[in-house]
Amino acid sequence: MSHTPFIVGAYLISAVVLFWAAIAPVVNKRSLLRQLKNRQTRMDKLQ
Amino acid sequence: MNPIFLFFHKTGSPPWFYKYSGKLIPWLWAVFLALTVYGLYLGLVVAPADYQQGESVRIMYLHVPSAWMSMMIYGLMAIMGFIALVWRIRIMEVLVISSAPVGAAFTIIALITGSLWGRPTWGTYWVWDARLTSELVLLFLYFGVIALYNAFDEPRKAARAASLMSIVGAINLPIIYFSVEWWNTLHQGSSMGSDGPGIHPSMLLPLLLMATATKFFYGANLLSRARLTLLKQDHRKRWVQDLLSKESH
Repeated sequence: MSHTPFIVGAYLISAVVLFWAAIAPVVNKRSLLRQLKNRQTRMDKLQ
Repeated sequence: MNPIFLFFHKTGSPPWFYKYSGKLIPWLWAVFLALTVYGLYLGLVVAPADYQQGESVRIMYLHVPSAWMSMMIYGLMAIMGFIALVWRIRIMEVLVISSAPVGAAFTIIALITGSLWGRPTWGTYWVWDARLTSELVLLFLYFGVIALYNAFDEPRKAARAASLMSIVGAINLPIIYFSVEWWNTLHQGSSMGSDGPGIHPSMLLPLLLMATATKFFYGANLLSRARLTLLKQDHRKRWVQDLLSKESH
C-alpha cells in the first residue's frame, strides 16, 4: 500500500484547518471595523 | 503599588493589551513560519522513513505536536478560567474563550492525521480505543465551551460559564494522558518517557521544531482572536471609538 495519499491528505487537511483558524479572526475583524465605521459615519451625519 | 499587581493591572487593561499584542503578533507569525519551514524540511526531506511505519511516520510530525497542543491549550484554558473566576480578571475570560477555537482546530488535526496514519499502519481509520475516544471527547468539550459562550447575551456572564466548563472539562486531560496505561489500547504509549525519548535524533529534531512552531501559532492566533473579542465587547467604549477615529484619519 502506498503511503503517499495518506501523507499528502494529512498535510493538506492540516494546512486548510490551520489556514482557516489563522484567517478567521482577521476577516472577522475587518468586517467588524467596517460595521463600526459605517455606524460612526451615520451617527456623525445625524448630528 | 506592588510591581506584580501593577503588571497584572496594566496587562489586564484592554487598551494596553490591544496595543502591545498587536505589535507582538507579526513576530510570533514570523517565528512560526521559520520553524515550520525548517521543521517540514527536516521531517519530509532529511529524516529517514521508520523501519516499522515506513513513510507514514512523516504524518507524526503533524499529529504529535497537534495532539500535544490540543491538551496543552485545554489545560491553559482551565488555569486561565480559574484565574478569571477567582480574581475576576477580564482579560483572562477573553483569553479562555479565544483559546477554544484554536484548541478545537488542533484537536481536529490530531484526530484526522491520526486516522490517516492509522489506515496504513493499523489497517483501520478508527477504533473506539480509550486514547482516540478520550481525544474525541476533548473535541466535544471545546465545542461545548464555544457553544456555551455563544448561548449567553451578556459576554461576561458567558465567559464565566465557559471558564467554569473549562475547569470541569479538565478532568478529561489525565484520562487522555494515562489512557494508554490504564486500558489495553491500540494506541502506543508515550515515546517521550522519563528515561529519555525513544526516538532517533534525526526524527526527534523535526518533531520538536514542529512542536515549538505550534506554540507560536497558538500565541499569534490567540492574540488575534483576543483582540477581536475585545473590540466586539468594547465597541461602545471610548478607547475603541478613539481607535476608529485614529484609523479613519
